[in-house]
Amino acid sequence: MTATPAADPIHRLLRFVGAENLSLIIALILLVVLIATQTEFFFSSRNLFNIGQNMAVVGLIAVGMTLVIVSAGLDISVGSIAGCASVVCALMVSHAGSVAGGIGAGVAIGLVLGLINAVIINYLRVNAVVATLATFSAFRGVAFLIAPEGRPVGVLNETFALLGSGRFLDFGSFPGIPVAFAILVGVALAGHFVMSATVFGRQVYSMGGNPAAARLAGINLNRMRLWIYAISGGLSGLAGVIVTARTSSGQPASGTQGLELEAITAVFLGGALLAGGKGTVVGTMLAVLLLAVLSNGMNLLGIPTFYQLVAKGLLLVLAVAIGQWRMAAAETRQARLTAAGGNL
Amino acid sequence: MTAILDVVAVGKAFPGVRALTSLSMQVARGEVVAFVGENGAGKSTLLKILCGDYTLDEGQVRLDGAEVSHASPLEARRAGFRLVRQEPEIVPDISVAENVFVGECPRRALGRVDFPAMRAEVNALLARYGFAGMLDADALGRSLSPAQMHLVEILRALKPGVKVVAFDEPTSSLTSDEVARLFAMIAKLKAEGLGIIYVSHRLKEVMAISDRIVVLKDGVQTGNLPTADTTENEIVRLMVGRELIHNFKRAETSRPEVVLDVQGLNSRWHRDISFRIHAGEILGFGGLVGAGRTELAKVIFGEFAKSSGIVRISGVEKNIRAPSDAIAADIGFAPENRKVEGLILVRSVIENAALAVYARLARHGILRTARMAEAVGPVIRQLEVKTPSLAQEVGKLSGGNQQKVVLARWLAAGPKLLILDEPTRAVDVGAKAEIYRLIDKLASEGMAIMVISSEMPELLALSDRIVVMRDGRLSPPVEKRDATEERIVSLALGTGQAA
Repeated sequence: MTATPAADPIHRLLRFVGAENLSLIIALILLVVLIATQTEFFFSSRNLFNIGQNMAVVGLIAVGMTLVIVSAGLDISVGSIAGCASVVCALMVSHAGSVAGGIGAGVAIGLVLGLINAVIINYLRVNAVVATLATFSAFRGVAFLIAPEGRPVGVLNETFALLGSGRFLDFGSFPGIPVAFAILVGVALAGHFVMSATVFGRQVYSMGGNPAAARLAGINLNRMRLWIYAISGGLSGLAGVIVTARTSSGQPASGTQGLELEAITAVFLGGALLAGGKGTVVGTMLAVLLLAVLSNGMNLLGIPTFYQLVAKGLLLVLAVAIGQWRMAAAETRQARLTAAGGNL
Repeated sequence: MTAILDVVAVGKAFPGVRALTSLSMQVARGEVVAFVGENGAGKSTLLKILCGDYTLDEGQVRLDGAEVSHASPLEARRAGFRLVRQEPEIVPDISVAENVFVGECPRRALGRVDFPAMRAEVNALLARYGFAGMLDADALGRSLSPAQMHLVEILRALKPGVKVVAFDEPTSSLTSDEVARLFAMIAKLKAEGLGIIYVSHRLKEVMAISDRIVVLKDGVQTGNLPTADTTENEIVRLMVGRELIHNFKRAETSRPEVVLDVQGLNSRWHRDISFRIHAGEILGFGGLVGAGRTELAKVIFGEFAKSSGIVRISGVEKNIRAPSDAIAADIGFAPENRKVEGLILVRSVIENAALAVYARLARHGILRTARMAEAVGPVIRQLEVKTPSLAQEVGKLSGGNQQKVVLARWLAAGPKLLILDEPTRAVDVGAKAEIYRLIDKLASEGMAIMVISSEMPELLALSDRIVVMRDGRLSPPVEKRDATEERIVSLALGTGQAA
């Protein structure tokens, strides 16, 4: 009845990745082969380093977005939250001179803005898409208002800059591992643990799959949403902090625009359902990697930005369409099975 | 007589359920054919195929010689098949005339709606079928009584081009006088040469109005007989087939201690409700659909608010304001519509079964998978849920097995009081008997059980005592030995004298 724990490492890895994510891995391999045959620079250690570093910002937001989408919600305001956090963090570091204070302030403002989203959804009963579309605009405005004269805030602090462009384990020609990438890996592992092994995580799946049933099973949906949107906001804040560290300036807009689109695409591409109740952090991370490789490949091949924007839009439609198509196919298969005489 | 509607070997399956198997039947011009069968027998599925809501998997449907097997709802309407739904959709803020013609308004030049023509047509239809004076063509949808809404739905069906009209439980919201008018209208439609399908649970009406009766059971046609050649008893036998329900006998296991004590409960739906359920007792709740029974279950469970009254569990007053409070007070609730309120269909059997006991299976919020399987696995096995594994998605199980997963959730929680709302709705006969045995076993182990059921044999077989709800009020309890179908029905309708 129950799955027996497989001992050998290959099976364990497969279980961790999840069979439903195999198609993502295959797509990733195909993409890598395609790009690598076109340009030999792809496999250079410097390029791989760049991909890892570029993934971090979107990746952090996508972890939070996974929780939101699995709970049958959506958070469009993540990029704007990152913008606010970037400015607040820069002000803190440049004026108070405290790196820890800057990081803390960036994450804290993210948490607060996330809570505001949840309050609007819970207590004003505004649908999540509309609520976060509104705060998408409002929070971006707040970011400009906080920044003196609406301009980027410069940060000159070498320790802080390590967060964005620092590396470790760099020997000889090996460029090392980007600090930002390591932070993403840590957050993603924590996110995977929360979603798969904690009561909170399982309740996120339940409320996304059927909110009415979840409530009748004793789950407090409003309290859940406060946590979920606060986590999404907090991680967006952390992403904003990393943007600040990389660019050495608190940016109200530049560097955090369009992040919502990329994060949402990654979550759907990673196997989450539009209707909620399904999706994994591992799938999302594979999709973030796929998107980062795709974007890097398009840059290396010299595809103009305008085409890249079109490609990103198409990819979101494709990601959701694949999910819907899979569900319909599963239903048809099931009905056929039933018609064939099985009554299970 | 020539067949105006010809259904040939139609089959339809849904995930987990074979809804119709190779069904063939005909309706002749000027003939009233009744469909009867228990809930889930396939009557609605057939109607939905005919009116284009569902597409059939196999077979053929011909209407007046033309094939309409894969018609869309609009094409089915245009071809002349009209369904009078049990619960019609009435748009509240437009007039009766517009409601009748919704989607098909007559137009004048420049696309303007022809209001006078609509009004005239509605009044002509009303006069023609003997309903003059019952409905004002200019009245707003929101001002209509249930009977008037039903009449609007009938008028929609009778617009020009109609060949076959199907009535789905047409008398459930009508008074006896209105039923007489409806029957007069059906007689008129017959005389005009239309084909008529009449779906109802009320066998006396079916015997009175129909020419032929088609009996369905679990998606299979078990009878197709001229009404004149059959009896109500024969129809019932064909509907039920195996007499499983009547074989089920329950020994009384009620104990002296009171588990649930409700005193003077009032709410939006309820007036002064008081009752008790003892340990080991099954208290049945009878009444018409809409009398407030489901709402009472939800008030007790904290999903809906009460305005006053006291709820005690094992003698301790409980202030239940949300389902989580109810669960903490050792109450379990398996709702009526398991797909909408009971189950998370896209998640696994084990997650659904463990949903109410997560907190108990975790330390510091971290779940222990092994414990989860230990807690839920035995219950799933005990209930004989047919599933390939605990990781199977619940949406892929059959109706009966899905219901067992809902019950497993509450068995795992082990409440003192279990509220079951229509515990065997859309469950096949075999699974039904198993669910009865399970409920009986839980009661004999000391659980107090509140059963809401609209199926009379089920209510009579399961309950130790029965209370009947009517318009938000509760009758005094009827003891098992005094409980008869007639007694319960008269309490539900308010026609009988109080005990």
